[in-house]
Parts: sequence; C-alpha cells; structure tokens
Amino acid sequence: MKFAALWVPDFSLMAVRRGEPALAGRPVALVAGEGRKAVVREASPEALRVTPGLAVPLAAARCPGLLLRERDPAAEVEMQRLLLAAAFALSPRVESTAQGCCTVDLQGADAARTEAALHRQVLDLRELGVPVRIGAGGTPLLARYAARRADPVLIVRDRGAFLGPLPLAFAGPSPQQAAVLEAWGIRTLGGLTALPKAELGDRMGPEGVALWERANGESPAVLRLAEPSRTFVATWNYEPPVESVEPLLFKLRRFAERVALELRSAGLVADGLSLSLLLEDETDYYRQFGLPEPGADVDSWLRVLQTHLDTVRLKERVAGVRLVATPARPEQRQDGLFDTGLADPNSFWENLARLSALVGDGRVGTPVPLDSHAPDAFRLERPAAAVPAPEVPPVHPPRGGVLRRFRPSLPARVRCGDAGPVALEGAVRGDVRVSLGPRILRGDWWKSGAWAVEIWQVELAGGGLYQLTRNAQGWWIEGVID
Amino acid sequence: MPKPTTIAELRSLVAAWTPAPPMRGGGGIATGVPAIDAALGGGLPRGRVTELVSAAPSSGGELVLAALLASTRAARLRVALIDAADGFAPRSHRADLLRHLVWVRPRSLPEAMECADLLVRDGNYAAIVLDARGVPARILRQQPAGAWHRLRLAAEQNPGAVLVQSAAGVVPAVLWRLVLRTPAGLGDLRRTRAERAAGLAVEVERGHAGAGEELAG
Repeated sequence: MKFAALWVPDFSLMAVRRGEPALAGRPVALVAGEGRKAVVREASPEALRVTPGLAVPLAAARCPGLLLRERDPAAEVEMQRLLLAAAFALSPRVESTAQGCCTVDLQGADAARTEAALHRQVLDLRELGVPVRIGAGGTPLLARYAARRADPVLIVRDRGAFLGPLPLAFAGPSPQQAAVLEAWGIRTLGGLTALPKAELGDRMGPEGVALWERANGESPAVLRLAEPSRTFVATWNYEPPVESVEPLLFKLRRFAERVALELRSAGLVADGLSLSLLLEDETDYYRQFGLPEPGADVDSWLRVLQTHLDTVRLKERVAGVRLVATPARPEQRQDGLFDTGLADPNSFWENLARLSALVGDGRVGTPVPLDSHAPDAFRLERPAAAVPAPEVPPVHPPRGGVLRRFRPSLPARVRCGDAGPVALEGAVRGDVRVSLGPRILRGDWWKSGAWAVEIWQVELAGGGLYQLTRNAQGWWIEGVID
Repeated sequence: MPKPTTIAELRSLVAAWTPAPPMRGGGGIATGVPAIDAALGGGLPRGRVTELVSAAPSSGGELVLAALLASTRAARLRVALIDAADGFAPRSHRADLLRHLVWVRPRSLPEAMECADLLVRDGNYAAIVLDARGVPARILRQQPAGAWHRLRLAAEQNPGAVLVQSAAGVVPAVLWRLVLRTPAGLGDLRRTRAERAAGLAVEVERGHAGAGEELAG
C-alpha cells in the first residue's frame, strides 16, 4: 500500500447536498443545460431510475418528487478543500488530482496504522457530510481504481485479481479504441492485459500501449504535490440575503469543520476567530473573538459565535459571511518527571518509522562511535525519548579538524617523496603543500580479520585538507578535513 | 468592519486575512560560531531556511555542524541531520555530543528532500540540517525549484530552524545565505575547535534586514 486515493462519487451533487441539509435522504438530480436541452448530470441514489444524460422532463416523470438543482461552484471549492485537508491528515505528500479526488503518497507509512487511519478518515468525513470512498494500492492509478470500487475502503493487495474483472472503461479508452476492442471481444482490463503489450503496440500504436499500461494500473509514482493551506479562511455569499441566524450558523459550522480540519492537519490550533458579515447595503459588520483556550474544536468555536450572534441586531440582511481562524502552535507542556521530552511523541516515532521505510533499515538513528580504532566504526541506535543531560566536558578540549567522509573512500594515485605524499591524482588532484603522517592503526590482530592502515593528512597547494589512508590495496582518499 | 481608506489600512486588513506564519518568536538556535550568530542576529532563525555555502574545500562547513551539535547538546535540543551525500563522520565527534542527534542517510537527493519534508513538519526538532555538500552539481540542478519552495513554506509553519549546507547556493529565494570561503591549513588543526570556530570568517551573500528583529519578538 504505497498510495491512497480519496474519491467522492457524484462530487458536484454531494457538494450541493452538503450545503442544503433539507436534501438529505430525498431524490435529487443535478441539472446541466437550460430549457428543453436540460439534462440530468448527476442523480442521488434515492432518485430511482434517473440516470445521467436523461432529459429533465423524463427524469421528473420517472421519479415523482425529484428535486432539481444546479451546480454550485463555491460549494464544490469548499468540499474540495475539505477533502484536501483530510488527505493532508494522512500524509504531507498529497495531490489534488481532480474535482472530488485526492491522491496521497503513503510510502514509508506503517501499513496497519495507515489502514486504521483510512477507516477513521472515512467515518470522520461522512460525519462532515462527505461520502468519501478510499482506495489504496501500489500506484496512484491503482489507488484511484480501487477508490471507485471501494465500499468505503478497499486496499488492493493482489493487483491482477483486482484489475482482471474491471470493465474496460476504467482505463479510459478513446471511442475508436473502445470500438476496436469491442470487436475483438475484449471487455475487461484483464482481457486487455492478457494481450501481449508489444503486439498491441504494433496494431494500435503508442496510444494502445498507453491504454495497456493504464489497464495494468501502471502510472508514474510522481505526484503534483499540493501545498497545505496557510490561511484559514472561509467565505460565502448568500443569494438571496438571509435574515435569521440559523442559515448563518449552519454555514459557519460547515466552514468551521473545514478550517478546523485544515488546522489539525497542519498541527496547528486556532487562538482566535474573526467574523465578518457583509450586509445588503455593502457595509460590513466585523468582530474578533479570542478563544478561551486555543484549539480546533468546532463545537467550542460555534458556541462562541452563536452566543455573540444571538445578541446582534442588524438593520440590513446578511449578503455574505467570512470566517478567519488565527493559527497558533498547540501549547507545549513543561517537561515533568515522567515526561518523554518530546513535544509530539506520536509524530516523532511515526516519522522515524516512515524515514526508516523510506531510506532503508539501519540508515536512521542516533550515531554511537564504537569502542574501536577501526576507521568509521559506529552503530546507529534508536533515538532516546528524552535528551539526557550533557556529560562534563573533557579537560582538554578537542583539537584538529572535523572529518567529512567519502563513503566509500575514493581510490587515489599518490606520488610520494622522501617525506610522504607530494601529489594527488584521481578524483582529487593537486600538489601537496604540507603533509602530516603517517599514523599507523592496527586492529583485530589477535584474530583472522586483522587490519592495518596508514593515515596521512595533506594540505593541497590549491587549498583543501584531505585525509589519506594506505593499506594493502593501495591509497585511498578517506575524506575532507573541515 | 470599516472599509479601508488608506494603503496602511488595506495592508493591515490583508495581514489580518492572511496571518503571518506563527513561528517567529522563541529566539534563534545558537550555532556556537560567533560570526554566524552575529550575522543572523542570535542564531539560526526558527521557522526559516538558512543556507550555508562552503565555497571552498575545508572552509569550515563541518566545523559549523560540530559547533551546532555542541551548542544544541548543551541546551538539550534535538537536531536532525539529513546527510544527502552520506559524509558525516561520527568518530570525529565525542559520543556525548551526538546523543541528541537523529542522523538520516538517504540514498539520493530526492529521498533527502522527502526526509526533510517529514522532519521539518515533525515539530520535535529545534534544528534540521540538510547537508547537500558532496551531491553532484548536476543532480542539484535537476532538483525542481518547487521542492525548495515547498521546504521553505513547511519551515515557516513549524518551530524548527532549517539549515541547508551546500557547496554552491542552491536554495532559491532563501532568506539568509552565508558563505565560507577561506580554506583551513594543516597549521590551523593545532588550535582547539572552539578557537577555530571563533575565528571563522563568514560572508553574508543574502540577508534579510528584518529577520533579526523578528527573532527578538
């Protein structure tokens, strides 16, 4: 499970429903076009026998009581931002793939914890009025296919078994390709990928190869990364303007839900809110609120806003509303006797696990030099939960340079004079101005893996200090002394 | 809310709508190198990316890292080192000076950028060092500018100071870029590291006049 896709079916319709609670559980259809050309674009599951593309009068005849609505671009933007914020709660690497679809890079994340997080995210989003489905798989495309088949979460573990029975339309063939493949009797992705890719390319050209790869769930693992929200603002214009406080509070709750999720995903809380009401006469009513305790709890925000709005009497109707949350870091606790010393232990250990998965085992940790004279002898330990108090500094402060290694050491050709190296050739080259050495190191002489190395430090005439070693295999440049 | 009638009012209104990143205060992270701390107005600024260019070999980049490790160790602050070219030598440091360090050894620059992305957002590190010295210039040039921009934005939202070490300026639109140009000689190695750090000369190639004041706030 390297990628996940969050997908909202019938996105435009769901965005409208989320903004109009009266539509819940009732047959609704979204209409495109005007007059006699108007057709159904999307229909809710309650609108029985109404399908996209159906003429509106026919749809109304098929489903008595059908409610018709037009697309609401502002509601769609709001719901897409909510979806994006939910995706950022799973990983910082998120792509806003399309309307109603976000792809998340989960590489390195702990599989069991991520699976639980996906299920939790579905429940949370459904509570916010977003009927999301989540799919996960080895490529972004596979994750998106899985999301379209999810109910509500589907993790693809066997790519072949999952893709095989899917209809060909999943891979998005052009009408010409679809016609050719239909003539060949191929109706599923499995049927298409059973054909040899190269021979399909011979017959259908590069587009055929691309189709075959899509049918096989292959896609570049590179996402066009989206940036998490840096401002926590929501705006809405009412058409027509509203007079009572209920529609205001409903919209403010929807805003607060999205803004709070954005804050939580960024590891922030709000320490204040500001509310602007745009009135019909084009004047503004503006009010700032300090929160009693910084947080991202929607109910407590709503209590503050409602308590205030109940006391407000305006001469004009409200034509627009704007809510801004002022972000702040969550308050950090003072270290106590039993504290871990970490501001956010969950994030610390989870990120370490992700880093290990990303760069490989044994490549993340706290370095500990080994009790050995062997060059570069160290081990990596699990970082301490609390940084211990420093030891008493040594009586004699350290002298000399700090080595920066080449791993592995670079082979070198060294010309030597009576007093040691006089010139370097190879990856680093130049005449040696001064040299210091040799220092002989030997180890493990009491067992079979005995080693011995001669160490030189040289200063090149053109600048730069280098540490050289010589062993039975020859000369090596071990690193730069800085 | 009254409508703005002057530019100043409009600016304050825009500032209220688009609040500045919250992580400015709390002071900088002292590096232990007086010239750098003085140039930056108190140390590496939190919530910002600072670039340190080692323009010549042996010009002191690793010495700065050693000084930063010593300084943060004394303050018991946690440090992450993303070592893109895998050049860090633990045996060059006292074991006790590494106990607060998380060393990450990615196998490529894109991997290093991903690690930095995670660590900068972590919130548990006082300083995150991305060491890109030793990465071939060709690979550095292939890195899209957007990745650095993303790192800068992530840093602004988080409390840690980010230090990028490079051999030539690589971070576009960086707030501070300091350059080390003077290579050390073998004779310099007779001095203690603290003495060498105290004598390190730093050139400010790019600096933000207001950053020091921000840190003090």
